[in-house]
Order: sequence, then structure tokens, then C-alpha cells
Amino acid sequence: MSTPLLAVGELHGVFKSLHELLVSLGLPQPWQSVVMYAALGVTVFGVLSLLALFLVWWERKIAGHIQQRFGPMRVGWHGWYQTVMDALKLLQKEDVRIDTRDRVVFFWAPVVCFVAAFLAYVVMPFGNGLIVADLNIGILYVMAVTTFTVISLLMAGWGSNNKYALLGGMRSAAQVVSYEVPMVVSLLAVILYVGSLSMVDIVESQSGWFNWFIFRVPFGPIAFVTYTISAVAEANRTPFDIPEAEQELVAGYNIEYSGMKFAMFFLAEFVNMFTVSAIATTVFLGGWNGPWLPSWLWFLGKTLFMVFLLMLFRWTYPRLRVDQLMEFAWKFLVPVTFANLILAGIVKHLGWGWWE
Amino acid sequence: MGLVSAIKNLLKGLGITGKHLGRHAITIQYPEERYQMPERSRGIVVLLSDKETGELNCTACELCMRACPTAAIRVESHRDENKKKVLDGFTLDNGLCCFCGLCEEACNFSALKMATKYEFSTLTKQELIWDVKKLQEVGLDVDYIDTRKKKKDKPDADQADSGKPTEEKPAPAEAPANPNTDTPDVKNEDKKQGDQTDAGD
Amino acid sequence: MTRLRTEEFLVNMGPHHPSTHGVCRLILTMDGEKVIAIEPVIGYLHRAIEKICENRTYPMCTPLMDRFEYVTAMAADHVYALAVEKLAGLEVPERAEYLRVIMVELNRIASHLIFWGVTAMDIGAYTPFLYGLREREDIVDLFEMTCGQRLTYNYIRIGGVSQDIPPEFVPQCRAFIKKMWSKFSDYEGLLNENPIWLARTKGIGVLKPETAIAYGASGPVLRASGVKYDVRRDDPYSVYDKFDFDIPTQKSGDSYDRFIQRIDEIKESLKIIEQALDNLPEGDIRAKLKPKFKPPEGEVYSRIESARGEMGCYVRSDGTVKPVRVKLRGSSFNHLMLMPIVGVDCLIADLVAIFATMDIIMPEVDR
Repeated sequence: MSTPLLAVGELHGVFKSLHELLVSLGLPQPWQSVVMYAALGVTVFGVLSLLALFLVWWERKIAGHIQQRFGPMRVGWHGWYQTVMDALKLLQKEDVRIDTRDRVVFFWAPVVCFVAAFLAYVVMPFGNGLIVADLNIGILYVMAVTTFTVISLLMAGWGSNNKYALLGGMRSAAQVVSYEVPMVVSLLAVILYVGSLSMVDIVESQSGWFNWFIFRVPFGPIAFVTYTISAVAEANRTPFDIPEAEQELVAGYNIEYSGMKFAMFFLAEFVNMFTVSAIATTVFLGGWNGPWLPSWLWFLGKTLFMVFLLMLFRWTYPRLRVDQLMEFAWKFLVPVTFANLILAGIVKHLGWGWWE
Repeated sequence: MGLVSAIKNLLKGLGITGKHLGRHAITIQYPEERYQMPERSRGIVVLLSDKETGELNCTACELCMRACPTAAIRVESHRDENKKKVLDGFTLDNGLCCFCGLCEEACNFSALKMATKYEFSTLTKQELIWDVKKLQEVGLDVDYIDTRKKKKDKPDADQADSGKPTEEKPAPAEAPANPNTDTPDVKNEDKKQGDQTDAGD
Repeated sequence: MTRLRTEEFLVNMGPHHPSTHGVCRLILTMDGEKVIAIEPVIGYLHRAIEKICENRTYPMCTPLMDRFEYVTAMAADHVYALAVEKLAGLEVPERAEYLRVIMVELNRIASHLIFWGVTAMDIGAYTPFLYGLREREDIVDLFEMTCGQRLTYNYIRIGGVSQDIPPEFVPQCRAFIKKMWSKFSDYEGLLNENPIWLARTKGIGVLKPETAIAYGASGPVLRASGVKYDVRRDDPYSVYDKFDFDIPTQKSGDSYDRFIQRIDEIKESLKIIEQALDNLPEGDIRAKLKPKFKPPEGEVYSRIESARGEMGCYVRSDGTVKPVRVKLRGSSFNHLMLMPIVGVDCLIADLVAIFATMDIIMPEVDR
């Protein structure tokens, strides 16, 4: 294969035969790479979309069982294709055209949100060798790209021509931006040890039994906890879901959207939830490391565990008020994460860790 | 509020919701599974028929009509040559009925009962107004305890008829007014013996 | 140096809103995020119950009383029955009094469970609502087994109760009481010490005892501010003087205290029900009424302690079969008028918390 950045591990056979097919059809070289990458992109996009549909169903089932009721039960066995039906329903809803000057901004906000949600999966290590592109700035790229959602929130708030949507959009943007800082600094404590920003390097430094960063006691669990809290806020989930809550008067940024545009925001939220869980798995829970089972199964299992934890948070805790949320981020999380970073530095320098 | 106790409590909350995941759901899948209604459950009003002859037990005494607070019941009757009342028509408007059970308690002849059935939604309000035929048909399979004085030696003071309310003696009833302004043509106004008949305002 | 001029603006927290309990409209004057003034607009649920009562005979008014306050319909029936019995000088049999107490206390627990769930839901925790309703299902099953209905019972009548309890009532009730005691660890563990919950409700919407008394607040709202006043103890009616129960109070009168107060009251109600079940006498369940029930001329006001506070019923009779005037006093009316006092100078998210913990329900306000 002449594409140096393409590492497809266990799917190697499939892509090799695709490559041979293209060669036999006589396509020139640049076009071969384009088609190969397109195929890879479509595969990843397809898998993630299916995962998003599964996650919506799973959330409803978990919410139901926590509340001692069944979730969806009618549409298929235990409602397994309920989300598909809901998506079809949203497709045929009227796309309300609101009276706004900035039609372009209003139109493109859900698209930006949806695309930004998927961008992070370019460097996500789904398994041993299963990564689209192992960039050497992997985790930095992910941090940069997850911030794109802020643009879409502001676009949605502005383009809606509704002062409450604007306020809601600005609040969500402020929330996401504030919680970026503790999120990044928590990850920094781990990167200090790995010495490289590449996702594959991060996962490989956790190979072996109990080498996972969550078990590296002084700074690992603290970094994990602060990362999880920031991730919940990044994904706009309870207890930080002011933008989505109906009980607050100042409604969220997406109130003027209907039909498929709303569905894009909605699905993007679930994809975002999966993204932050996947990053937590990669950085703290050992990525695809694990004995006996295939590596992608370990990755999936650990990420779904993190997603389950996020869902449990949503259905247990009440909501924080906006100013309490911001206060918590800046006055508590930021000092704690910086202190944790310093602690990690000290531990590394003095070699106090039990894993050395 | 220390940090440690805050974290402990947050984890405790997660534990409480988490342990419910292992429990079975307490809801039932209607309409495949239906809830077994208690026998006193006040569902739809039905007219009861004699268990052997199949005739209506109703004697057109109009006590239920007088007891109903929303004037949902309308009874039409005439006196035949023996001066006995004969039932001409009995209309029950389920849209007006408030399911209070006062009519069932007023009846001395086991003619009216609130069955435990409840699935009678319709698409128009007109279909909610039931006549004698429908009321009797729905009440055919409703089990009841016959408390009429001819059949048993004494009316038994158990089940739904214990604690009889005031409308016990048929003749001088309590003469309620006709409360509804949207049913101005209540035909039996002249038959009542009461004094207060302000046609409601 | 110029200052930016900021203006106050009006926000309509309209009749349709996921967080107002029933159809209540609040017109808020806001300065940014802060609420400066509140004007409640009521009347969306007015059904003219008092006027309709003037055209119905005394026994026919009981179903209407159910609908006056449908969350605690037993209490509403009870206050009306007490008023008419006082007017007519009726003696209620003792078994009926005990049954009434059992039903009213069960209804109080059901109402507080709804309160607990709905308040939690307003503040963002969605699960307690379903846990509260799960327990309420057991209570409502008990009611259905006795009188046939789950919300508007028409059970407590003038002179007693309408039907005797079936034999399976007492064991099922005891089983429920046992289950409820075991659930308190869940209920209290989920929210009471939760740091997020404390941040949302502690210190919010403080109601001073003097203000509460001045505005005629009653019930849990008054007791959470520290005033130990309960109609069951201070103006006993029915057989409440035979039971041994405490009157819990809290100290500071903020939203958190109002929340905790009702959980404590559930415990007291459980004690009352246990005592009533233990001492349930045999006998009649209803006093005999004349067929054309005509109480003597006069007027009477009776009051009880319902789940929300003091509920009152004023009946005036002129010796005929229909009352001349029935006036109902609901405690939620006074509590709603407390909102402009307690709910100002707070953020809008806090307003939602305060409104939820006041436990205002609109049928009582609008009748």
C-alpha cells in the first residue's frame, strides 16, 4: 500500500483487496488514494452513525430501567429500531423557516455541529492498528476539534433571531469554553508521562497489567475524575445541561430548529458523548489494551462503560445553576487540575510512582 | 460541607439509581397485559338485567336521575293502566358523568351499577350518549348481587351498597335543581316533587 | 465615562410551562438574570365550584369538593363533611372517624410524594418523580380497593364514610407502611445531602416566620419557617387528639427546609396510620341522614390540616336542601401571594426552585 498514513490493522485484508481492485481498474495513483480514504471515511462515518443510533436507544432503555419502567418496547424487540423510526419521523417534519436575516448562519449551524462531532474520529484508536490517521499531534488535534462545537452553538443562537436562543447559545458557549481548560490540563498530566501527543503512543504506554493511567495513584484518579466532570460539561449533559433544560425559562440554542436540523443537533450530542468517552478510554483506561478479546472489543467495552457512567449521572443528579457551574469550573476545577499537573510533574521527576 | 462527604454522597446517589437497574420494571404492557381492576372500581355505568329472565331491573323510579350531580341521566317513563311506571327511555351521557357513584347508591332495585369496564373512547361526543340498549348490552356480563326485596329476605349490607345515603325512600326525593344550562330541555322537570327548581344559572 | 443603560424587561412565565404546577401565569420583571418583581395572574383553572354548590343539595356537593383539590381529595371531602356535620349537629360514628383519619393521612403521604418528585424534576433530577409515583401507586391501589376511584374519591360523606374497608385493606396497608419506612433511606440518600441539591436549595427563598404569619401561610411552609402550628394539634377535629405524633419544624425557612419538612411529615403520617390501624373500633360507618337532608339555619366555618396547609370550608344554610353559600379556603392561594415577597432578588433558576417548594397547586387557588 502506497499510503503511508493509512493503518488499518485487522481490516487490512478488505482494504488490500479494494486497493487491488482499483489498480486493476487502471485508476491513476492520486485517485486511488482518494477512493481509499473515501472508503475509510464512509466506513468510520457509518459505524459512528450506527453507534449514535444505538446510544440513543440505550439511553432510553437505561433511563427506563433506572426508573423501574421499560423504555421503548413496541418498535421491534424491546424497541431496538425506535431511533430509526424517530429519525424517519423527524425527516418528514416541517422545516420551519424563521424570520431571520442571517439565513446562512441559521442553516449552517447544525451542519457545523454535526461535522465537528465526527472530526475527532480521525485519530481515534478503535483497536490495535485500527486508526484512520495516527497523527503525531493526535490529542492536540482532538482538543482543537472538539472546540468547533462552540462555533455552531453561537451560530445557532445568533441565527435564530430570538433573544432567548441567543442568551442560551452564549451561555452554552461560555460553559463549553470554561470547561475546556480543566479538560486539557487533566489530559496534560497524563501526557507528561507519555512524552508524546500521539494517541497510539498514549495507548501503548499503558500496555501490560494495571498500567492504565487511572491506576497510577497520586495523579491518575484525580485527573480521571476532573476529566470526567469536564467531559460531562463539554457534552452538555446533566448536571450541566442548562442549554437543554426545559424547566429554565431561557431556552437553549436549538429551540428554533425543527425536523432534520434538530435531529442533527441531537445526534451530534450523542456522538460528542461517545467522543469524550472514547478519549477517556484512550487516555485513562488503557485504550484497546486487554487480554484474550480482540482489541476493538476492549475499546468498545470500555467506552460504553464510560458512556453508561455519563448516563447514570444524567438520571441521578439535579442541575447546577449557570453561575454555580461557572464558579465550579473556574474556582475549583482549574486550581485542582493545575495542582494535579504539578503533582504529576513532581512524581515523574522523583520517580515515586509504584509502576516504575 | 467537606469535599470527602460531598464525594461520598454523590457516589451514594449513583448507587441508589444503579441498584434499580437490577430490579424488574413495575409497569405493565397495556393492552397486552391488563390490570386486574378491584371489584369496587367505579368504571362505566351500566343497566343491569335480571339473571334469569333477562329483563331490565329498572323500575323508572328516577332516583338515580335525582341523585346525579351533573344531570347525566335522563329517564323517560309513563304510567300504565295499573298506575305502575314503565320505562320508556333511559339516557346516560358519559361525557357529563363524573363517575361519583351516587346513582348506584341511590338505586334500590339493583338496576344500575358502575362496572369495572373502562375502555369506551369514541371519536365524537354524540357517541358517548348511551341509550337503554347500549347500557343493557354492556351490562349483560357484569356480575352483581341482587338486593331487591323480592328475591332475597333482606338486603345485605355489604359490598357496594353499605352505608346507604339519604336517597333511600323513593317518594319525596331531594328535588335537585336542573343545573345544566346547556341541556335546557330536561323533560322530567314537572314530575319532580321538589320545590327548588331554579333552572341553573 | 458613559454607563451603558440597562433596562428592565418583562418576561411572561406563561400558563403553559413545564415548571409551573398547573396553569399559573407569572409576569416577571427582570433585570438581566435577576427577578425584580413578580405578578401572579390566576383564574385559568376557575371552574365556579362555589357557585355550582349553591345549586346542588348537600350530599351532591361532595363530588365537587373532590375536584376542588384533587391532589388531596380526601381532605377536601373531609373539610366539607366537617362543616355540614357541625351545622347539622351530626354525630359521626367512631369507626368512621378512624377510617377518615386513615384515608386522610394516606392521602397526605401521596400528596407529599408527588411534591417530592415534582420538585426534584423541576430542579433537574428526573428520577425521583418516578420513585415517588411508584410508592403513590400503592396508596392509590388502597383507595381503589376501598372506594373504587384513584383520584376523586367521593368517599368521606356527610355523616361518615360511604363504604367500609374490605378485609384485605388492613394487611395491605400495613405492608405499605413497612415498605415506606424502608424506602426512606433511598429518598433521603438521593437528594438530601447531595452537594448539587444543597447548592440549588439552601439559602434560597428564605421566608421569615413573621412574614409567613402575616400572609396567612400555613402547613409545611409555615412549619419550615419555625412556627410550630398545626391545626390537628392546636384546634383538634375528628379524633386527632387520640393520636400521638410530633409536629416537626425546621429552622431557617429556605427552600431546603421546606423540602425536608414534608419528608418529615410523611414519617409522622405513617405513625398516625399505624396507631389508627391498631385501634380501629368496630361499628357503624355512617350516621343516618334524613332523606331530604336540611340542616338548620346558620353558618359555620371548619378547617383542617391538609397536605398543603390549612384548608377551610364555610357553609351557610337557610334551612333548605341546598346551601346558600359554600366558600372554600385553600392554602395555596396565600402561598401564591407569598411569591412576590419571597421570589424577588433571586435568579430565575432559583425562582423555579422556590415555586416548586411552595407546593402550590392551582385548583386550590382558582377553584
